[in-house]
Amino acid sequence: MLGLGADLLWADMNRLLAFLFHQGVLDEQFLQLQQLQDETSPNFVSEVVNIYFHESEKLLTNLRASLMEREFSDYKKMGNHLNQFMGSSSSIGAKRVRNVCVAFRAAAEQNNRAGCLRALEMLEHEYCYLKNKLHELFQIEQQRALAAGVRYPVQD
Amino acid sequence: MAQSRSAAGACKGATAEFPAGLRVLVVDDDATTLRIIEQMSIRCRYRVTTCTEATVALNLLRERKGCFDVVLSDVHMPDMDGYKLLEHVGLEMDLPVIMMSGDSTTSAVMKGIRHGACDYLIKPVREEELRNIWQHVVRKIWNENKEHDNSGSMEDSDWNKRGNDDTEYTSSVADAAEVVKAPKKRSSLKEEDIELESDDPATSKKPRVVWSVELHQQFVSAVNQLGLDKAVPKRILELMNVPGLTRENVASHLQKFRLYLKRLSGVAQQQNGMLNAVPGTIESNLSATGRFDIQALAAAGHVPPETLAALHAELLGRPATNILSTADQATLLQASIGLKHSHAEHAVAYGQPFVKCPSNIGKDFPPSFLTANDMSSGYGAWPSSNNTMGSVRPNNSDERVGTQYNNILMDILDHQQRQQPQQKQQQHQQQKQQQQQPLIHDQSCSINVQPSCLVVPSQSCDTLQAVNGSASVNQNCSFGMNAVIDYSLLSQKSNNSVSASQFSGGDTKARAVLYAHTMPSTCSMSSINGSIQQLQNSTLTFGGARPLPSPLPMSDRQDPYGLKSGDSFDQVCLRNIGFIGKGTCIPNRFVQNEIESSVSDFSQMKVNVDSTGNALKEEPNFINMQKVSRPIVERYQSCDHSSVFTE
Repeated sequence: MLGLGADLLWADMNRLLAFLFHQGVLDEQFLQLQQLQDETSPNFVSEVVNIYFHESEKLLTNLRASLMEREFSDYKKMGNHLNQFMGSSSSIGAKRVRNVCVAFRAAAEQNNRAGCLRALEMLEHEYCYLKNKLHELFQIEQQRALAAGVRYPVQD
Repeated sequence: MAQSRSAAGACKGATAEFPAGLRVLVVDDDATTLRIIEQMSIRCRYRVTTCTEATVALNLLRERKGCFDVVLSDVHMPDMDGYKLLEHVGLEMDLPVIMMSGDSTTSAVMKGIRHGACDYLIKPVREEELRNIWQHVVRKIWNENKEHDNSGSMEDSDWNKRGNDDTEYTSSVADAAEVVKAPKKRSSLKEEDIELESDDPATSKKPRVVWSVELHQQFVSAVNQLGLDKAVPKRILELMNVPGLTRENVASHLQKFRLYLKRLSGVAQQQNGMLNAVPGTIESNLSATGRFDIQALAAAGHVPPETLAALHAELLGRPATNILSTADQATLLQASIGLKHSHAEHAVAYGQPFVKCPSNIGKDFPPSFLTANDMSSGYGAWPSSNNTMGSVRPNNSDERVGTQYNNILMDILDHQQRQQPQQKQQQHQQQKQQQQQPLIHDQSCSINVQPSCLVVPSQSCDTLQAVNGSASVNQNCSFGMNAVIDYSLLSQKSNNSVSASQFSGGDTKARAVLYAHTMPSTCSMSSINGSIQQLQNSTLTFGGARPLPSPLPMSDRQDPYGLKSGDSFDQVCLRNIGFIGKGTCIPNRFVQNEIESSVSDFSQMKVNVDSTGNALKEEPNFINMQKVSRPIVERYQSCDHSSVFTE
């Protein structure tokens, strides 16, 4: 019975992953992350993703703060923030977020403040969506681990 | 970190465990990438140390000299530019440094090469790429060995072997390798030149000359001064005025330079008519700016990737050639690779390490094979990013809409309902909690709430009309239970603006849905009176519209609401209850039910509310309705209807 639950959750997780891949929210780099997870680092993926969230939120706050400044002119610094955001997003396979960063960076290079604001909105949007979906994914994963664990209580 | 293995032995030769135990220092301000690379390195069984700051990394390197084999550094770092770190490491510690960046543009890669990077990895870095970084370590060491030994100990087989290993490299490398295959033919010319040079006894065992960037620039400026045609080694030497430089050094260097220019012009000819500009540009760039400003070159005209690859290779290979010609001619000839490979085939030499190039000049002209790689990759290896750059959010949101449009309406309604302290609603809200966020997300994707009305299946009309009025009433009632209360509360709270924006006016269907929900419930329960009063009050407050139509007798179950005349009545009801449609936030569960024609029912029901007698009459209907609309009712069975009405 419990095993069945674990299997169902596994199916749920795969379905969600497939959905996210199809939507372009995630790409194969995320699979690489999953492959890096093993017995020595059993929570690698969630660990990395949490680092990513933590860093990204700081970056987003910085970006928004600097764009909201009345005397905003430091596009270069924004570009640096964006580079980092792009790098980390591509490292975990957040394809859509990364693409928005690219557009954002283009607007920054043209010193287009309105464009930057628009891009920032989109970026925050995509980021929120990604975050929610990944949380969902981890929740299912946790439940699955629990369900599987209960089924096989004796584990090494 | 990684399991410890003997790093010393690893570098000396290809032991069974090599490259495990490679001591890697990773520097990146981005914690995410750092963690990932750390994990990948552990997987490769390297001994990895991570650092988020370049200054800290430098100190670490200085303190623990000889404790690291290779350095991986990000390009963009806040405290110190990655290139600066690169220079420092190259100068002080002479360690191979590999750059990493999300920037795959040719200029960025070129800059890395210029500063002496052994390699340039594009983020996201893959594990396979990390598995190959040991080659730079080995190469450097072998170069140094070769320098010291000055003997032909290198065997072709070793190089070939390494070449095979490198074929496991990323596809971008393979692409670039193909790109650079063209210049291979010309390299044979150089080999002949070298042979000629080797015949010169004077050059047989000269001390190595490092053709650094500065030296080369001096050379080029001297050549420019004299004019390429008139540039003779003797005069160049005089102009350069570099102590220790012999005429022979200059002569061989000049020869290579001439060939290089010739090749450039030849390659350019194949592309377009920019060739003439290229050599001149190169020279002027080299002499003027003192930097191999390939960027300017590229800007000067469309310099195709192949030319650039050749260019890079040439610029880098030039000094090496020179040295080789002055030094190990024999070895050179012996090695199958030979100079022809060491030149432009830098790109190709992925598998054929630039062994000939002594580590001395590694700083300035390191065997950076990745240059061409990254160039070609920069050109085309990441099409996905380009294609998806505009990956339109709206499109995606539409997809989501398509898949979750039911939820959309649910949540939109929920969104409004959230303001109301309804137990039932809270229950439902909890159910939908998970979907809310993405749905809100969808909402912001400019999802028109109007589609919600589309959720109401058109067939509902038919079914309702087909069924007796009682049946339709059934459905209405079932939804209405909660809706009534919500409804009244909503109206009292004057959420008009909120809802109005959501339910763009003029949508009869939507309104019908709403009405249907509320009305039946009011009719059905006698205890509703209070709420009914509220409802009626709200009706008045909102619409200020016409008073409710006089109650129609409910006796006629067959057609209690005059469905046939439904249209006109609908209009009336709608107008009276117009505010309902605008202002209500009816849970989607209601919407999902087929309610279209229930509008008329709704109005009828509402009318009936006035008199308890009628309401009572409705009860049986309600009961019947419940039977008919079982699936719908079941959904809300968890709702405590009575409690709702007593509130």
